[in-house]
Amino acid sequence: MELAKLEKLLDKYFEGETTLSEEKELKVYFTGESVPSHLERYKDLFQFFSEESQVTASSEISLNANTNKVPWYTWIGVAASIALIVGLFMTNILPGSDPGKGPLLVMEGDLGTIEDPELALQKTKEALDLVASLMNEGKKDLVYLNEFDTAKKELVYLNEFETAKNKLIK
Amino acid sequence: MKERAFITLTNGFKDKLYRLAKRLLVSNEEAEDATQEILLKLWRNKTKMAEYKNVEAFAMTMTKNYCYDKLKAKETGNLKIVHSNYKDERPSLQRQVEAKDSLEWVGKIMDGLPEQQRMIIQLRDIEQYNNAEIAEMLEMNETAVRVALSRGRKTIRQELLKKHNYGVG
Repeated sequence: MELAKLEKLLDKYFEGETTLSEEKELKVYFTGESVPSHLERYKDLFQFFSEESQVTASSEISLNANTNKVPWYTWIGVAASIALIVGLFMTNILPGSDPGKGPLLVMEGDLGTIEDPELALQKTKEALDLVASLMNEGKKDLVYLNEFDTAKKELVYLNEFETAKNKLIK
Repeated sequence: MKERAFITLTNGFKDKLYRLAKRLLVSNEEAEDATQEILLKLWRNKTKMAEYKNVEAFAMTMTKNYCYDKLKAKETGNLKIVHSNYKDERPSLQRQVEAKDSLEWVGKIMDGLPEQQRMIIQLRDIEQYNNAEIAEMLEMNETAVRVALSRGRKTIRQELLKKHNYGVG
């Protein structure tokens, strides 16, 4: 490119009137080797432009950052808990499914009643014995209450006051 | 629209979004965040994508607005943009220290321009969009784009001249 044309192009460039293709020409020219010294300073400018157009983001940009994707294994936990709850309720709801055994978890009406009278007597005795032994054990500690009785006996002398008083009234 | 199609569509211009964001926000990290944010927004509104005449221009506008918001938030928060990437870490650095320095100088001059001029020069001289496209992206009219472009370029020329004279004298 001749110098005169180049300088004219540069002027146009700074007026913002060059076309894109003219600007490309300038860029090619100034990124080349032979640039006259008085135009050297524009070399940086055009080199800068062509270098900047190569800049790319260093880290890969991902789309999935928050597209609300829940990992598949979280659903296993949900499924397991639902299965557990449903399982527990089903054994209650469907007692008729196994008439021989009855429902597993229902406790109502089953108070541990014993049908055989002999056995019932024995069991009752055992239970009462247990209660009695515990009672006796507890009562042992109450021995100290007797101290009250003995102390009260000492207070009999107070009656002397009473008799003396009565005498004075007379 | 499937993810694959979306990615191939956006691959065409996502680097341009990044560079525009970087031009405005300066920091690499913030520019990456901005790009990610814009692409996610586009992805979420993918059903509306067919309505846009020009997805690329639309994405550019979104980027511009996003960066403006960021910059405004910083101003009101009284924060300075903190970044540490004036230096370029490419391997050729050692060989062309001087050349690199003067290119960085141009970058610094550009960072000193008003945001609008900076964006216009970015879009025109680096991304090579024509003025009509730039006008659409920046929601301006074409004449205003041309005027701002010329102003920005002249400011850069002036600064370069100053630097050059210092260098010589």
